[in-house]
Amino acid sequence: MSCTVRIPSPLRSYTAGAATVAADGGTVEEVLASLERRFAGIRFRMVDEQARIRPHIRLYVNTEEVRQLSQPVGARDVVHVICALSGG
Amino acid sequence: MPLSASEQSRYHRHLALPELGKDGQERLQAARVLVIGAGGLGSPAALYLAAAGVGTLGLVDCDRVELSNLQRQVLFDTAAVGRLKTEAARERLLALNPEISVIAHTLTLRAENVLEVLRGYDLVLDGTDRLATRYLVNDACVLLGKPLVSAAIHRFEGHAMTYLPGRGPCYRCLFPAAEEGVVGNCAEAGVLGVLPGVLGAIQATEAIKIVTGVGEPIVGRLVTYDALELRFVELPVTHRADCAVCGEHPTITAPRDAEELCDTVNLDHIRRLTALALQDLLASERDSAGLVLVDVREPQEFNTRHLQGARNIPLADLTHRLDELVGERTPVFVCRSGRRSLMACALALRGGMAAPAHLEGGLLAWAADVDPAFEVAAG
Repeated sequence: MSCTVRIPSPLRSYTAGAATVAADGGTVEEVLASLERRFAGIRFRMVDEQARIRPHIRLYVNTEEVRQLSQPVGARDVVHVICALSGG
Repeated sequence: MPLSASEQSRYHRHLALPELGKDGQERLQAARVLVIGAGGLGSPAALYLAAAGVGTLGLVDCDRVELSNLQRQVLFDTAAVGRLKTEAARERLLALNPEISVIAHTLTLRAENVLEVLRGYDLVLDGTDRLATRYLVNDACVLLGKPLVSAAIHRFEGHAMTYLPGRGPCYRCLFPAAEEGVVGNCAEAGVLGVLPGVLGAIQATEAIKIVTGVGEPIVGRLVTYDALELRFVELPVTHRADCAVCGEHPTITAPRDAEELCDTVNLDHIRRLTALALQDLLASERDSAGLVLVDVREPQEFNTRHLQGARNIPLADLTHRLDELVGERTPVFVCRSGRRSLMACALALRGGMAAPAHLEGGLLAWAADVDPAFEVAAG
């Protein structure tokens, strides 16, 4: 099952600049694993060793905030990855 | 104060809007708004607020205008290069609208002065380029009960959200913590000049709405903007019961300065290598065997071209991957310009490493002094 993931600007160096990528998985955890297979290192920028979402990152499935990585993701869903920005 | 004849003429298009009208314009005239950072965001925000007739406009910045600012900081012209931003901005804003007052705060906001500066204003716009200041300003606004309109930018992307006391989440609810080096920085990564124009204008719009009481501010709604795809996305943000400053049991009850990484370690312990010195070390079999070259740039930059034998650990990952470098070999950090590699050294020192080294001037220096054919990717 394939969904769309929107990649924040600070992590686009992993996706060769792509803002939107496709990923597989029925849960957020599986989607992140799918991303990691294609873009090595990107998962660790979003979640820590204990699989907690990093405090400067927010994940959404469509407009619902992800609190557990077990949250389901459906085909045609959009996973938004939001990263804190510091520029002014 | 009633509007003068010239003010009635100046603000005619506002007065023609029933939602604003005379009452709204008088509210703007009585308002005191503080803009933090006279940079990419602060420039358009301050220009529009001055033009709109905000009676008292404060500006906080301690920098001087640089030529590289002019690509996006539309408050300044070429003749202003070298001048204090607050002074040049004050002149520009008063030239635009002499009916208002502009107060220049030429200082760095710190825990010891932030409450005093903010106390004199009704509303705060945050357009700083330092994360530590973002958290300091947020905490001060929560503690003082001041509305805060926050925005941030990176490359082609921007965020905006408004905090209203007692009505929704604050910046710490949005991002409980963040460290410089982990999130994007415009000086290193670049920024599309017109991007802060969009976000700064959103901040000014929010300020005018809050002051005049019209419309619905972006409270509890994070607005993200992607200039490349010209796409706005709005995502809900809820108040966190465990927020350190506005939660049920706050641990931050007074402003505090974030610990600056470089203040926490002794930078004298960092070995600074020139490009020629690094070349010599790498040429010696005995010396190079004791080194591990660690390139702390982003993967895309690394993949363009890197030094032979270097391994890639992006700066943002370093804290969590320091254990990979524990051993007998001394890490030599390299990056594009030497800025990220110096931060990597500081992180390594903080992590307990004895004598990390870095390439001063970065791979740009390597290309200049050692290998002119070495292609250094843009940051």
